[in-house]
Amino acid sequence: MTGKLMPLLDYFEGKKLLDRHGIKSVASRYVDSAESAVEFSEGDPIVLKLISGKALHKSKSGLVKLDLRGTEIKRAFAELQEKGKPLKPYRIIAQKMSKGGVEVIMGGRTDPQFGKLILLGLGGIYVEVFKDFALRACPITKQDAEEMIAQLKSRDVITFNGKNSGMVIQLLLSVSKMLMDNCRIDEIDLNPLILRENGYEAVDIRILTK
Amino acid sequence: MDLKPMLKPESVAIIGASRDQDKVGHVILQNYINAGYSGRLYAVNKAADEIMGIKAYPSVLKIRDRIDLAVIAIPAQFVPEAMEECGRAKVKSVIVVSGGFAEIGNKDLQDRLVGIAEKYSMPTLGPNCLGVMDPRSRVDTLFLPTYKLSRPQVGGVSFVCQSGAVGSTVLDLISGEGFGLSKFISYGNAAHIDEVDILNYLMEDDETKVIILYVEGIKRGREFIEVAKRITRKKPVVVLKAGRTVAGQAAAHSHTAALAGNYEAHEAIFRQYGFTIAEDLSDLLNFAKILDSEPFPKGNSIGVVTNGGGAGVLVADAIGMSESLVLGGFSNKNTEFLRKSMPPLVNIRNPLDLAGDADGARYDEALQVMGSDDNIDMVLAIILFQTPGTDSKTAAKAISFKEKMSKPMIVLSVGSEYTEMHKIMMESAGLPVYSSPSAAVRSLAELLKYANYRNKK
Repeated sequence: MTGKLMPLLDYFEGKKLLDRHGIKSVASRYVDSAESAVEFSEGDPIVLKLISGKALHKSKSGLVKLDLRGTEIKRAFAELQEKGKPLKPYRIIAQKMSKGGVEVIMGGRTDPQFGKLILLGLGGIYVEVFKDFALRACPITKQDAEEMIAQLKSRDVITFNGKNSGMVIQLLLSVSKMLMDNCRIDEIDLNPLILRENGYEAVDIRILTK
Repeated sequence: MDLKPMLKPESVAIIGASRDQDKVGHVILQNYINAGYSGRLYAVNKAADEIMGIKAYPSVLKIRDRIDLAVIAIPAQFVPEAMEECGRAKVKSVIVVSGGFAEIGNKDLQDRLVGIAEKYSMPTLGPNCLGVMDPRSRVDTLFLPTYKLSRPQVGGVSFVCQSGAVGSTVLDLISGEGFGLSKFISYGNAAHIDEVDILNYLMEDDETKVIILYVEGIKRGREFIEVAKRITRKKPVVVLKAGRTVAGQAAAHSHTAALAGNYEAHEAIFRQYGFTIAEDLSDLLNFAKILDSEPFPKGNSIGVVTNGGGAGVLVADAIGMSESLVLGGFSNKNTEFLRKSMPPLVNIRNPLDLAGDADGARYDEALQVMGSDDNIDMVLAIILFQTPGTDSKTAAKAISFKEKMSKPMIVLSVGSEYTEMHKIMMESAGLPVYSSPSAAVRSLAELLKYANYRNKK
């Protein structure tokens, strides 16, 4: 969504907000040293991200390091610290690596005329390349959610040929409710949010408040 | 807001009526006379006693009659005073045709106009607009001479248009179509009456079956959503939103001082609430035409009959590319019937190609099958009038079939003068005619989409 410079909600406040609305997101923690990142990984592959109000496009700016194990974690942490120097204040977040599935974007923004809008699209880099997204005014009904999915060219990819449609519909309804219940949310991006046949998790959370 | 005094006025005052043929006020008065308006008509002009045989008054306050509608066509700076007089004279509604307000940066002057409208609770359309046309009440405030702009016949389609130029252009095009007009409302700067008020009025207007809406920017978004939710439950709304690109939005800003909202947001709202979305001006007419005349289809399968193989293939392609439509098969009984009745060179399949020598009788048998077969929900008859067998009798067959048919039926005829003549003949009998395969097929798809919306939510 568009990125005017607005107050960026702390990642974990955003995560708590999602929790309260029953929206799952990937296990994450702020880390202040390479050692604490290694400890967090418990031997699993992890992701390190640098979060700063001065850098809204993390992956484009090389501030996301994916699929790190063992010594890679230490090297990536040092690299992010170096990159973070001009971006202070910043924090580094460690997340469990979320593998497989389909990356979608679920988002919302406040339109000056129509109020809260909700968006679902093929996510990650594809959202800008293919512009395959559906938009509706909140609050949406179950039928609106169904139609949003049906409208997408990527509908069969996103729903695994319809197998997880119910889950995606429920998720859209939860995000719509969250947008309606929290008037302070100006814009929200859950991008990527990873959908699988049997589950999902929001991997990145960006919430701009009014 | 009650727009009835504006659309069905029993008395009208033209403020700025003039003897000078170049003045807008002259054309408006002339048009009222030409249209045969049967109510009480008054001219307001400070300098004249009488204009074109109509008694003129120096001020609306001097007219000893209740005025339902005042049409104001004087320079912008004099408009507030004229409106103030209308308010004091208890005029029921006002149309400000004059430009020179927010669209050129004179927002203060426009705010004064709104203040007066609110002070007297006087519904005010414009400024910077063409006003209204209602062929039933013969109200016509357009300052465009009738010899330049043909006026549509009476019908069920109401056309709501923010832009005056698009409004007059499309109106001219509508007059060449088979469907007729219920109301034309050009609302310009939307200072007092906006699209929300107009849609609320037309929703309850029994004379309006279908609405065409051209908007540049919607100002009261949430109120718009409220009327949008309800109106498409009652009647279809075909919408064209201008200002799709950033460049387009900048143009909209300088045009009618509208803040052309983000196109995607508008499109999302239209889609969510069952509007029929047009991509360009020709879609407005194509979609309105089918929604005005055709019943809802029971399903998504199309039966195609044609006298040209190529045209049949183009239509089959367009159906194949549409997300929602399919070509239906014929029942065994009908397949048998067609085998017996058609000459051997006719392949019994859909599209049913009757061959280049098809005449009215062959169309008659094919259409009987299309009409009666339960596997066919909508009928598309391709009639190419260039072939030797097709003539007015074929068109007459199609018309008489249409009258009996309970399914949606449209015709595709591509061609120039001879075809155009038959198009008028069929359309005036209520059979929509299209001139390109994609326009015909997309219109069927939109009819189905709207029918599904009405049947579902």
